[in-house]
Amino acid sequence: MSKLGFLFTAYLLIWIVLAGYLLSLFTRQRRIDRELLNLQEQLKRRS
Amino acid sequence: MSYLRGIAAIYWKDVLLEFRTRQSIGTMLVFCLTIVVIFNFVFEPGSEAVREVAPGILWSSFAFAGILGINRSFSFEIDRGGLQGLLLCPVERSTIYFAKVLGNLTLMLLVELVTLPIFAILYNLPTQINLPGLALALVLGTLGFAAVGSLLSALSANTRAREILLPVLLFPVSVPVLIAMVKSTGPLLAGRPFGEVAGWLRLLLGFDLLFLAISSIMFPYVVEE
Amino acid sequence: MRNAEARTRIFDGALWAVTSLAIAAALYAVFLYAPTERTMGDVQRIFYFHVASAWVAFLAFFVVFLASVLYLATRNLQHDLIAASSAEIGVLFTTLVLITGPLWAKPVWNTYWTWDPRLTTTLVLWLIYIAYLMLRAFAGEEEKTARFAAVFGIIGFLDVPIVYFSIRLWRTLHPKPVIGGSEGSGLHPTMLITLLVSLIAFALLYATLLRLRVRLERARREVRRARLALNA
Repeated sequence: MSKLGFLFTAYLLIWIVLAGYLLSLFTRQRRIDRELLNLQEQLKRRS
Repeated sequence: MSYLRGIAAIYWKDVLLEFRTRQSIGTMLVFCLTIVVIFNFVFEPGSEAVREVAPGILWSSFAFAGILGINRSFSFEIDRGGLQGLLLCPVERSTIYFAKVLGNLTLMLLVELVTLPIFAILYNLPTQINLPGLALALVLGTLGFAAVGSLLSALSANTRAREILLPVLLFPVSVPVLIAMVKSTGPLLAGRPFGEVAGWLRLLLGFDLLFLAISSIMFPYVVEE
Repeated sequence: MRNAEARTRIFDGALWAVTSLAIAAALYAVFLYAPTERTMGDVQRIFYFHVASAWVAFLAFFVVFLASVLYLATRNLQHDLIAASSAEIGVLFTTLVLITGPLWAKPVWNTYWTWDPRLTTTLVLWLIYIAYLMLRAFAGEEEKTARFAAVFGIIGFLDVPIVYFSIRLWRTLHPKPVIGGSEGSGLHPTMLITLLVSLIAFALLYATLLRLRVRLERARREVRRARLALNA
């Protein structure tokens, strides 16, 4: 790999890792929000 | 004075328990010897490289075997509600910590005492080992390892993961102790004079005191309830 | 109530905007503004985000340490929320350091990895905080998780300088071919500005991620409580 290849691989990997983390944050948040709504509904129904 | 007596009492309880059941010591010893044998397969027969990595092998076996004993030092208390009893004792919480450190130190030193001659024979170490120096290095190194280990054992034994968690927590944190242990043991195994490793041993003593101080301060937070 | 919600939304939007702008500025500075380094060439441009990640990671772990001390002192679970979130983001940035490091080392030192004090300490740091996250995952009840994690967060952070110190001694007592660290000394002013811009951009990114992560952690605990209430 040429020297520039290393530079671009490094920057590419940084953005891939960051984007992956952001995506995981959003999907986790969405899943937990849905579960919370679900649980609250169940609680309401019971009381 | 009563503080020391508290440590002695808890320590003695653990020694008696171990003496009657012999659960930890046997497993640790056999495990330690097994690791020593397994490492042997890494080398070509008669290779000179063995001498260079001998301290590394020795400490890896001690550390892995030590983990077994350190793990049990708190998990067996939890299984039968012994920890609750200990916490009810009219002593300061850190007494329990120091007693456990002493207990783990004793166990590991016993294992080391038996393993070392066997190791020296199996790996053909030079006969002019600096014994007094080596004894000091073993005690200081093991103390540092047991100091962090006993605290983290109280942590991991109280979690859902139990025994599995301790190695993951303990090894990265004890890196400084492991480095100093290996560096000071190497020359002593080769029969070098004490002065050559005095710096490392002093450092090891510093680590020991530091880890003992931090851990004994943190211990009450782990067992409060 | 609605007013407060609107305000957080505006704040979130502003934070996102500022962070994106700062990252764009940093990218511009790194690739177009900063001069090409004389001996290493263009590869040296990895340096800016590499060092910025490392400093931000350290900041994140310092936040974990502070939040842990505060938690043990006050027993306010808000602090634990921050400690848990900051630790995960710190591990993320340490991962970036560990990815960019070898990619810079290979063309310059002709090796991906060397056991030099800084590299080794970074690796140990990474392992300590992964262990921290595992401890959190396995601890059990909320209060116990917070307490145990705080104890380990304090010990882990205090351990880092000791690790660095011991590894440096190990290395200097055992000399190896000298590997030139190029940072710090005699940095060209435009390079320094580029580094500062990258640093600010990554610090802002840390703040943005931390906010998101804290929100997630809060929702997660609400779910846990709701589940307990449902089973009670």
